[in-house]
Amino acid sequence: MAILERFATPAGLTEISDAALNEWSDTVKAIYADYLAEHPQFYDPTEQDTPDGAQVAPIAWPAFPARLRREVTSQEERWRRADNDRNEQDEYCEWSVERDSEKKVTRVTFTTEVPEYWDHLAEHDPDRLLALYRELVAPDVELDELIVDGTYKRDNDRNRTTTGRLAHLIQGSNNLEAAVDLVAKATVQRERDGVPVDGQQDLVVCGSLGNQFRHSDPQIARAVNTVAAAGDEITLRDPVGLYIDGLDAVGLQTPDGADPATFWTIERGDGAHAVRARYEVPGDRDYVVGDILDRGRPIAFGGQLADRVRVRVTALVKPADHTPRPQPCVP
Amino acid sequence: MTAVATDAPITDETCKAFRELSPDALTPDAVHRFVVGEDTTLQVLTAEEAAGELGDPFATELLLKGTFPRTAGEVLSAFAAAMPEGDLLRAPMFFLVGDGSQIPFSAETADVARNLRFLVTLGNGSEGPDVMLSAFNPEEGDVELMAWDHARGGFNYYQTVGDSSSWVFAGNSRHALLEATEGKGPFESHPSGNVIMKELRTPWINWDSPAANILPSAFAPDDPLRDHPWFNKKDPQGAITCEASVVRPGIERWTKARFATIAANGGKIERPERIMRQVLTSPAVNLGSSHTETSIVASTEAVDLPPRSFVDSAALTETLDLQAPPAFTVPGSRYAAALTAFDVALTDGDSFSRPGDTHFVFLVPERAAEDQAVVVAAIDSGLLTERLAACLLMVDFANPVFSERRAALLRHVPPTATITNDASDFSQALADAILAAAASTAEGSPEHEFAERWNAGEAWREAFNPLLESYYAAVTARLSDQEGFNDLFRLAEARRQRVRQMPIFESPLLFAQTNIPASERVMQSDGTVIER
Repeated sequence: MAILERFATPAGLTEISDAALNEWSDTVKAIYADYLAEHPQFYDPTEQDTPDGAQVAPIAWPAFPARLRREVTSQEERWRRADNDRNEQDEYCEWSVERDSEKKVTRVTFTTEVPEYWDHLAEHDPDRLLALYRELVAPDVELDELIVDGTYKRDNDRNRTTTGRLAHLIQGSNNLEAAVDLVAKATVQRERDGVPVDGQQDLVVCGSLGNQFRHSDPQIARAVNTVAAAGDEITLRDPVGLYIDGLDAVGLQTPDGADPATFWTIERGDGAHAVRARYEVPGDRDYVVGDILDRGRPIAFGGQLADRVRVRVTALVKPADHTPRPQPCVP
Repeated sequence: MTAVATDAPITDETCKAFRELSPDALTPDAVHRFVVGEDTTLQVLTAEEAAGELGDPFATELLLKGTFPRTAGEVLSAFAAAMPEGDLLRAPMFFLVGDGSQIPFSAETADVARNLRFLVTLGNGSEGPDVMLSAFNPEEGDVELMAWDHARGGFNYYQTVGDSSSWVFAGNSRHALLEATEGKGPFESHPSGNVIMKELRTPWINWDSPAANILPSAFAPDDPLRDHPWFNKKDPQGAITCEASVVRPGIERWTKARFATIAANGGKIERPERIMRQVLTSPAVNLGSSHTETSIVASTEAVDLPPRSFVDSAALTETLDLQAPPAFTVPGSRYAAALTAFDVALTDGDSFSRPGDTHFVFLVPERAAEDQAVVVAAIDSGLLTERLAACLLMVDFANPVFSERRAALLRHVPPTATITNDASDFSQALADAILAAAASTAEGSPEHEFAERWNAGEAWREAFNPLLESYYAAVTARLSDQEGFNDLFRLAEARRQRVRQMPIFESPLLFAQTNIPASERVMQSDGTVIER
C-alpha cells in the first residue's frame, strides 16, 4: 500500500462519473480534515502513506439497538419498537419491513448507506439519484419528493418508511461524519483523577464519544483507543463506510427445509462490502418470511432479523511512535 | 471392558472426581469410561464397546480411528487432518471468557487468576455445534469436550487427564436424568445434561463481546496467548454469536431430543418429577446483570436492573404471554450509595481488591435457560397445559429463583405420566393432588396459593396480570428511595450467596464481596423483603 489516490465511494460503487468520484473523495477528505490537526494519531490515507503491513482491524456489532435491549423488557415489544421507528435504529444500520395482506412479513430491507453519499448524488447526479430511488424504493418516485428548494431531503417521505423500501440511513447518529468523529476522537487517551479510563462505557462518557449504551460506539471507541495507546496511528480502511457483515441464520427453520441463509441477498456492494441487503423468500416458494420460524417462533418483526445481522467498520492501524498524553474527561 | 489398576475405587461423586485421576493410571491411546454413579473405577473400553456406546463425531472420526489428541489444539488439528475440505468439523469458532477478563494486567494485578478460558466449537450447523471444547490453554491437556451423539442423541462428555493421550468418556446427557448418575460427575455442573453458558444474556458479563471486549491486556505481556491464533481469531461478535448460534441451539437440541425420547417411548414418562423439578425449582441458574459498567455508575442517571431478577419473565411473559415487567432502574447516585454502604468490592480473596461492583453491576441469578426450555417443551408436548404452568409459576412469583414455596409443590407430582396425541391428564392430576392437599395445610401454604391461582379458571391471564402489575408497581416504589433499594440489594446478595454454593461458582471474582451478613431473604409480592 502507499498513499491512497482517492477515497472510494462506499462499497466502491461505480455508478457515478469519474469527476463525481473525485468530488466524493474531496467530501470525505473534508470530513477528515476537521480532525487531523487536533488528533495526530488519526490520519488521512490520501495524504500519508499506509504501509503494506498495516494491521486491518474489523470491528463488528449487531444491527439491533443495544439501547432497546436495555430499556425494553419483552422481546416482542423491543422488536416492535425498533420496527416502528427508524430513530430507534441507532447502530449504523436501519431496516424497513414489508408485509402482505395477512400482515405476514414478506421482505426486510437493511441498509448501512451513509446519507452523505446520497447528498452527493443529489448534488452531482440528480438523474442517478432518481433512478436509484425508482430502482430501490419505488418506481413512482418523483425528483421533487427528494429535492426540495434545491436541497436533498434525507428523510423524505419515501426514505423514512418503516413499511416499504428504504433508501439509506436517516437516524441522527447514523452517518459517515459521526463514524469519523468517533474514530478520530477515540484516539485520545483519557484519564480521570490521574487514573486511565479504559472501560468501554466509561471511555464514551469521558470522551463524549456517543451513546455509552449502544453496541457500536463503546466498542469502536475502545478498540481505537487501545491501539492508540500503543502510539500507533489509525484511519478507516478504504472504501470508507459502514458495512453489513452478514446474517446469522442458525436457529431459523423454513417450512420446506430450505436453507434459510439462502434468502439473504446483497443488493448493493458485495460480500465484503455490503451496504444494502434484503431478506426475502423467492417467489417460487409457497411461503413468506413470516412463515419461517425463529427458534420456534414465527418471524413477525424485522427486529428479529436485525438481532442476527452484523454491522462492521474496519480500521487500519499503522505502526508509529506517538507518546499519547492522556487528557481529562470532556466536561 | 477392562478395569484399570488404581489404588482404590474413586468415591468422590462430584466433578472433582476426575481431578483425582492420575494420568499414570490411564492407558495411553485408549478410550476409558468413568461415568460417576455407574462406574467406581476407570474402565478401558474395547473398540467394539466404544463403537457401541459412542456415536458422536469426536469418537467416530477420531478416537475410534485411533487418533488420540493430547491437547485442545491437537483436537482441532486432528479434525483438520481427518475431515475433507469444506467439512464443518474443520471450521472452528473461538470464544473467550474469564471471571477476571476485564482486569488489565499490571504489576498490582499480576497474580490475579482471571480464569481466561477458550470455548471452541466445531461442526457448527443449524442445531448448534457438534463438538464443543473448553480449554485454558490450546497447548495444554485437561481438555473438557462435549460432542453430540448422532446415534443416541444427547451430548457425550469427555475429558483428558493431564497430558495423557487417553480420553475418558464421562457420560451422556441422558445420564443427567437417571437416578444413579444424576447430579454426579459432569452432571453436577450440567444438572440436566445440557450446554452451559452461565452469563447467557446481554451484556454477557465476563465474555468477550461487543459489550465488553477482552483485550490483550488481560494477559501478561509475555503470555503467548496474547498473540495466539485462537485469541486473534475470536468470533468478532463473541458472546452474541455464542448465545445465538451455540448455546441456545444446543439447549434446544438436547431438550428436543429428550422429549422425542418420551414420544418414542409411547408417551410414557417414568419420572415426571424429573421434569417438574426444572419447572418448580432452580437446579441451575443463569446470571444476568445490568448493562451499566461499575465505572460509570455514579455518573449515570438511571442504572438498569435485570428484570428477570424480579420476575421470571422468560416463562411468564415470553412463554405464557403475561404482563411484561417495566424497565426497572435506580438512579446512579443511589446505586453508588449502596456500594458504599455495603462496602462492595471486587476481590480475588487474596491480593487484589477494587472498590465497586462487578464489571457490569448487579449480577444476579435468574431462571436457567435450560429449565425454561423444559417449561416450553413440557407445554408444547402436551404434558403441561398453559394454565397449569402459569398457576405453578405464579406461586411465589416474586422469587423467580430459589423459591421454597414452589419447590414444596414437587411433593404432589404424580409418579408417572403419559402423553397421548399431544395431550395428557397429568396437569389435571397434579392440580387435583395439590388442591386435595391444600385442605390439610395451613392458610398461606403454597398449596393454598396454588388453589387461589387455579380457581381463576380459564380466565387466568385476566386474573394474574393485575397481580403482576401490582407487584411491578411495588418494586418500582421500593426503588424510589435508598432504604427500598438497599433492601433489594441485600436480597440480591442473598441469592448470590446461594450461587456461591453451586458448581458454577468457580472464582471469587464472579461476584463482588459485601459486608451484608449471610442470611436467607425472600421477596414479598408487596415489594418488601423478609429475612429468615
